[in-house]
Amino acid sequence: MEPKCHNFSRNVEQALANRNLQAAISRTTGRFLEHRNAAVRSFPGDFEAAREAASRLKLATLRDLDIHLSRFIEEAERRGATVHIARDAAEARDIATRIAKDEGIALAVKSKSMATEEIGLNEALEGAGIEVVESDLGEYIIQLAGEPPSHLIAPAVHKTREEVARLFSEKLGETYTEEIPELVAIARRRLREKFLSAGMGISGANFLVAETGSVAIVSNEANARMATTLPRVHMVVASIEKVIPLMSDLPPMLRLLTRSATGQPISSYVSVLTGVRRPGDAEGPSKLHILLVDNGRSAILRGKYREMLKCIRCGACLNICPVYQTIGGHAYGWVYPGPMGSVLSPLLLGLREASALPDASTLCGACADVCPVKIPLPDLLLELRADARAQGHRTPGEVLGMKGFAAIMGRAGILEALERIGGVVCRLLFKDGKIPWLPFILSGWTDRRDFPAPAVRPFRKLWKSKRGVLPWNR
Amino acid sequence: MEPLGSKDALIRRIHAALHGHDERAAEPGAGPPGPPGPSAPSAPPASVEKRVAHFSEALRSAAGTVMSGDLYAFLPALGEALRTLGVTALLVPEGDPVARELADALMPLGPFRLASTSELLHGNSPVTAGIQSAEFAIAESGTVVQTGRGGRTLLPGLVTEVHVALVRPDILVDRMEDVLSVLAADPPRTISFITGPSRTGDIEQTLTLGAHGPKTLIAVITQSP
Repeated sequence: MEPKCHNFSRNVEQALANRNLQAAISRTTGRFLEHRNAAVRSFPGDFEAAREAASRLKLATLRDLDIHLSRFIEEAERRGATVHIARDAAEARDIATRIAKDEGIALAVKSKSMATEEIGLNEALEGAGIEVVESDLGEYIIQLAGEPPSHLIAPAVHKTREEVARLFSEKLGETYTEEIPELVAIARRRLREKFLSAGMGISGANFLVAETGSVAIVSNEANARMATTLPRVHMVVASIEKVIPLMSDLPPMLRLLTRSATGQPISSYVSVLTGVRRPGDAEGPSKLHILLVDNGRSAILRGKYREMLKCIRCGACLNICPVYQTIGGHAYGWVYPGPMGSVLSPLLLGLREASALPDASTLCGACADVCPVKIPLPDLLLELRADARAQGHRTPGEVLGMKGFAAIMGRAGILEALERIGGVVCRLLFKDGKIPWLPFILSGWTDRRDFPAPAVRPFRKLWKSKRGVLPWNR
Repeated sequence: MEPLGSKDALIRRIHAALHGHDERAAEPGAGPPGPPGPSAPSAPPASVEKRVAHFSEALRSAAGTVMSGDLYAFLPALGEALRTLGVTALLVPEGDPVARELADALMPLGPFRLASTSELLHGNSPVTAGIQSAEFAIAESGTVVQTGRGGRTLLPGLVTEVHVALVRPDILVDRMEDVLSVLAADPPRTISFITGPSRTGDIEQTLTLGAHGPKTLIAVITQSP
């Protein structure tokens, strides 16, 4: 998928103009949060301690990632997998396409995977003449619509049932129905044919277990089970930070993942897949290719953003983010939306492409509060803002504004005079205490919302009148 | 062909990233090295009755159905349930005599016939209930576990409309850890943890059962032999 993060302002305008989208997002995020909070309350044990432990486990694993990854590769290959390494997205596309061609694949079914979205796998395979069908219902819908996902775990949240009904009738020739169970049944029937005839199943991985070379995948629909059981070849595409050391690390991570994602104590299905089908096995693929994608992660590992690699893609930070709740996923312009995307996208794509994303946060800290692996998202967002400024990603208006701001804030007398004048003038001009429009470089504050007019009595006056003591007057 | 030694190159790249500044020695905020393994809630092993109760409650809240007691007492109810779901065929894996016995007992209760795996894998299959003995069941989450060990098939709980899982109380364990610790030494190709029927909320977040897998999961808790 071609990144459009640089168009962030325009993307946001479009999102804000779409009423359907706003309703869908607020319904979805609200429901996810409700379920997540209920699941946290009923957590068997101390949820905070579990978060802390998971954070430590992920950090310790990242600190020795070379060791754990070596072990994963060795164990997976010992059990019949072929492991491939892609340094970047282009190399990943080349390798995946070559694998599919070498295996003589005409049709591949996919279960949901953010890593494949990141590398643009579908387009590459389709370009090589291989039909690729998404099998997660949400992904199937947006594939038919030709749109990118708008949520990590609910990719089609922005679509109404009427839109899905139209898609199914126009693109699939099915009888128009707005009944959700019937729409689901259509997808089930259509995709069952694909599962049964595909030569290759493509999946991501929620976790890679170094101890046994196993791939763990969660799903609710059973599409991941189908895609990894029925076709003769299984290709896993996973980024390198998915490794955990031991099989015994899996259950505690799963308890956090599914509760944080959908509020389920466990997803309907968890598959732990190890190697290829063995002699005497009743089913399963005879070939397993595991494509490990670096794509900038070893560079992230080096520096101050390492904690971002703890992310387990639950989507909780999206649901709780006031910015995501307002603009939805597409506005972020690439595959990773919300607070985690505002950190990860600039790290993977560079600040030249995505310098606007770290600014798309109120720094309220709610994302860090819900993160099951305790990623300090607001801190990382601030770091990225500083990096963006240091690299010169700022507008002339911003430079001028900041200079002016510094000049005024450094002079108490001028500040006080301006406050008084501003307070009185604004009171005369804006009766309701809201400034709807500011000129030129200040317009950014009023384009999308009203700016509160300064109070007639400055805070310092108010404070004094309540007999408060200001620290500098002590 | 990716460059030869790309695996070594990746490991070297990561090693260099990690050891460029000897971070492993002084890592801020990383905590002590060693296996911190998230502290999972651990309680003393529960009694079989408690496990059965936990399992049943958890599975029901995951939209699963639980039938327990004397098999022949609730057999008519099971047959009725399958008929109501439109089931006309039963899929029983080879080498699962308990499942076969249940299927045989169900036969007279509806117009059921035995289905074969191959007809299910070649489209136009009848509405089928897959009956299979579970290998493990997990009390904490109401989970049924099937694996590919010993040539077992997982299709009865995957490609059917109804999954009937036979759960003997003695295969119930407290937590997922208890299953993985048994299997980790030599994991079979497939381990499936199954908790309730297949579901999706992808259209307007409306929960719909039977996305790709079974629409209904019935756990039949049989009495210990």
